[in-house]
Amino acid sequence: MKTMGLLLALICSTSLATSAQEVADGGTVATIRALERQWTEAQSRNDGGALDLIFDNALVYLEYGELVTKGEYLSRIRSTKPQPLLDQIAMEAMEVRSFGGAAIVVGTYLETSAQDGKPHAKRWRFVDTWVKKKERWTLVAAAATPLSK
Amino acid sequence: MGTAMRGVKWLVLLAVAGVSAGYAQGDSEADVGSKILAMEHVWAQAYVAKDPNALERMLDGAFICVDSKGRLLTKEDALTDVRKSTVLQILIESMAVHLHGETAIVTGVFLMKGMERGKPFAQRNRFVDTWLYRNGQWVSIASLAMQVGP
Repeated sequence: MKTMGLLLALICSTSLATSAQEVADGGTVATIRALERQWTEAQSRNDGGALDLIFDNALVYLEYGELVTKGEYLSRIRSTKPQPLLDQIAMEAMEVRSFGGAAIVVGTYLETSAQDGKPHAKRWRFVDTWVKKKERWTLVAAAATPLSK
Repeated sequence: MGTAMRGVKWLVLLAVAGVSAGYAQGDSEADVGSKILAMEHVWAQAYVAKDPNALERMLDGAFICVDSKGRLLTKEDALTDVRKSTVLQILIESMAVHLHGETAIVTGVFLMKGMERGKPFAQRNRFVDTWLYRNGQWVSIASLAMQVGP
């Protein structure tokens, strides 16, 4: 999950850490990792069309403690102008767990924003759920919670 | 629903978002939703009773949980948390099931109250749980909670 309430410059690590716990289902893991990356990139350019293809119509998205639907999420993306230098999301390690027709991604990211002229950083841990429907993986749930310091 | 939760009104919404397949023949999507919601209540009650036995069967071996402090827990960690629980009461305020074939997403809000180091606490969390129909039964494979109020 990448929080999108703020407008983001998404700094994608080119070598997201791979956990040894990842299931041996390499094809699924690679596909899901690629989709997570596409999601991040689509969000960085406010590409609602690309996100529409990634998100299931029944997506549930827990964002800053509020439950957001796909429609609400996309509508906000489309109405917000990118301000890449103001706020940033830096994706950190993520792990993909494959369960046949479903996959779980768990990871962390660092959100940096400007508050009262000062940089403010908060680290989040997220869980995303992907389901394979008609031979295509789609995001059905995404949620994140802040890490206690 | 356990004693602590008796009398609590909760809202159940069933959103069917996929093709139903795989689970017990004759089970409608509403039946599946009801079963999963019942297991969510058992899950909550396990913390009040400090009894991980029922939960042990409901969590997949590869279950992962992100708690409201952002800690990443395995199944064993979660069961240990249940044994050491300081929760005296959990009120599930709302829940909804979203079915995607053999995967189900449950969202909801619960209020938990307890006593820690001699001091009472209350915390309201919103959660997202993922369930999977596996080997003839529904098991949870992931859970995340975020504190949304006292």
